[in-house]
Amino acid sequence: MSTKKMFALLFLSFLFISVPTISAAAGGGEKETAALNQKVDTSKLTGINRWVAEMYNGDRVLYAIVVTLVMAALGTSLAFLTDLILKSLGLEVSRISHRE
Amino acid sequence: MGLLDIHLPVAGIEFSAVLLILIGFCVGILGGFFGVGGGWMITPALNIFGFHMAFAIGTPLANIFGQSIGAVRKHHRMGNIDWKLGLISIVTSVLGVEIGSRVIIAMEKAGDVGMIVRWCYIGLLTILGIYMMYDYFVIHPRLMKLAEDEAVNGTRSAAATKLSDKLHRINIPPMISFPASGVEGVSLWVILLVFLLTGFLSGFMGVGGGFIILPVLVYLIGLPTTIAVGTSLVTVLFTAAYGCFTYALKGRVELVAAFIMLVGASIGAQIGATAVKFIKGYGIRLLFAIMIILAGFSVLTEQFYKATGKPVFQTFAGIVLMGTALAMTVLIIGRLALESSKEKSLSAK
Repeated sequence: MSTKKMFALLFLSFLFISVPTISAAAGGGEKETAALNQKVDTSKLTGINRWVAEMYNGDRVLYAIVVTLVMAALGTSLAFLTDLILKSLGLEVSRISHRE
Repeated sequence: MGLLDIHLPVAGIEFSAVLLILIGFCVGILGGFFGVGGGWMITPALNIFGFHMAFAIGTPLANIFGQSIGAVRKHHRMGNIDWKLGLISIVTSVLGVEIGSRVIIAMEKAGDVGMIVRWCYIGLLTILGIYMMYDYFVIHPRLMKLAEDEAVNGTRSAAATKLSDKLHRINIPPMISFPASGVEGVSLWVILLVFLLTGFLSGFMGVGGGFIILPVLVYLIGLPTTIAVGTSLVTVLFTAAYGCFTYALKGRVELVAAFIMLVGASIGAQIGATAVKFIKGYGIRLLFAIMIILAGFSVLTEQFYKATGKPVFQTFAGIVLMGTALAMTVLIIGRLALESSKEKSLSAK
C-alpha cells in the first residue's frame, strides 16, 4: 500500500470516528437523543405501513440501515431526475466563474 | 389536518402529505442555495403542525442527508467545493464540538442553562446577520471605490478592511494553501483555530452549524461565496448521514414522513444549487443575512413564550420562521427564473 493510500485510509477512519460528535450537536438546539423503546401497534396497519412498523418493532439495526439506504437512493434518483428536467428547461450547470 | 392526510405508522399520527412535501421543498431550496442543513427550520415547523418532538429532530436529519447528496454532486460539478478545506473543517470542528458540549454539561450541573444557550443563539444570529449587512452596504462599496481609485490613479491603497486579509497576515508556520478556493499561504494554525471555534459554538448551542460555517468560510477564511456554499454542504452531508443512521437506530426517524418530505427536498435542493450559478456572491450573502436575522427574531419570540407562557408568542415565532423560509424560497426561484431568462435572451442575440 502506498503512503498516500495509507494516509487516506487513516483519514477516513478518523472521519468515521469524529463525525458522530458533530452529528450529536445537530438538531436545532433541542436535545432529544435517548433511544425510544416504544412499540408500534401494527394490528390496524396494512401494506408498506405495516412492513415499516414491523421492521421498526423487530430490528432497529435493520430499520436504521433501511432508512439510510432509502434516503440515499431516493435522494440520488430524484436529484438525477430533477437535473434532467432542469436541463430540458435550459438550466444546465457546468463549472462556473465565482463572481462576488 | 386535511390536504391529503396520510397515516405515519411509526409516529402514529395523521399528517398532510402536501405539507410534508412543501416543507421539504422549502428546506431543499435553502439547503442547496445557502449550503445549510435547515434543521433549525424543519424541526419547529413539524412540531408546530403536530409532529411529536421525539421524531422532529431525527426525521429532518434523514431528509437533509438525502437532499444533500444531489446538492453536493451539483456543487461539485460547478467547481464549488474545496474538498481539502471541507474535510479539515469536519475533523477540526469535532474537537470544538466536544469542548462546547462539555462546557454545557458542566454548566448544567450548576443549574438550567437553556436560557443562556438560547440568548447566545439569538445574539450570534443577530451579530452575524448585522455584520453581513454592514459588509454588503458599507465595506463592499468602500472596497469597490478603493479599487476604482487604484485603477484611475495607478497607486495601490494600503487599506485592507477585509477580516480574512488580516487573518492571512498572521505568519505562523506551517503555511497552507487551498488552490480550489484561491486561498494562498494561510497559517494552518489560523484555520484550525477558526474551525475549533466554529465547532465550539455548535457544541455549546446544540446546532448543526451550517449557518455558522458559511460566514466563517467567507469572512474569516476568505472563500468566494459560492465555494463557501458548496464546501459547507460537504460538512452538512457527512453529519446528516451519520445523524440519519444513529437517530433511526434510536427509533427517532419516521421513515414514511422522511420519504415524502424528501420528494420535495430533492427537487428543491437541485433548484437551489442551480440558482447559485445565476446569483452573485454578494446577493447570496445579503439573502443569508436577512434569513438569519429573521430566524434570530423567531427564536427571540419563542423566548417570550417561554417567559410568559402565552401561546400567541409561540404561534408568532412559527409564522415568522415559516414565512421567512417561504419568502426566501419564492425570492430564490424568482431570481433564478429572471436571471436564466436574461441569460437565454443574451445568448439568443
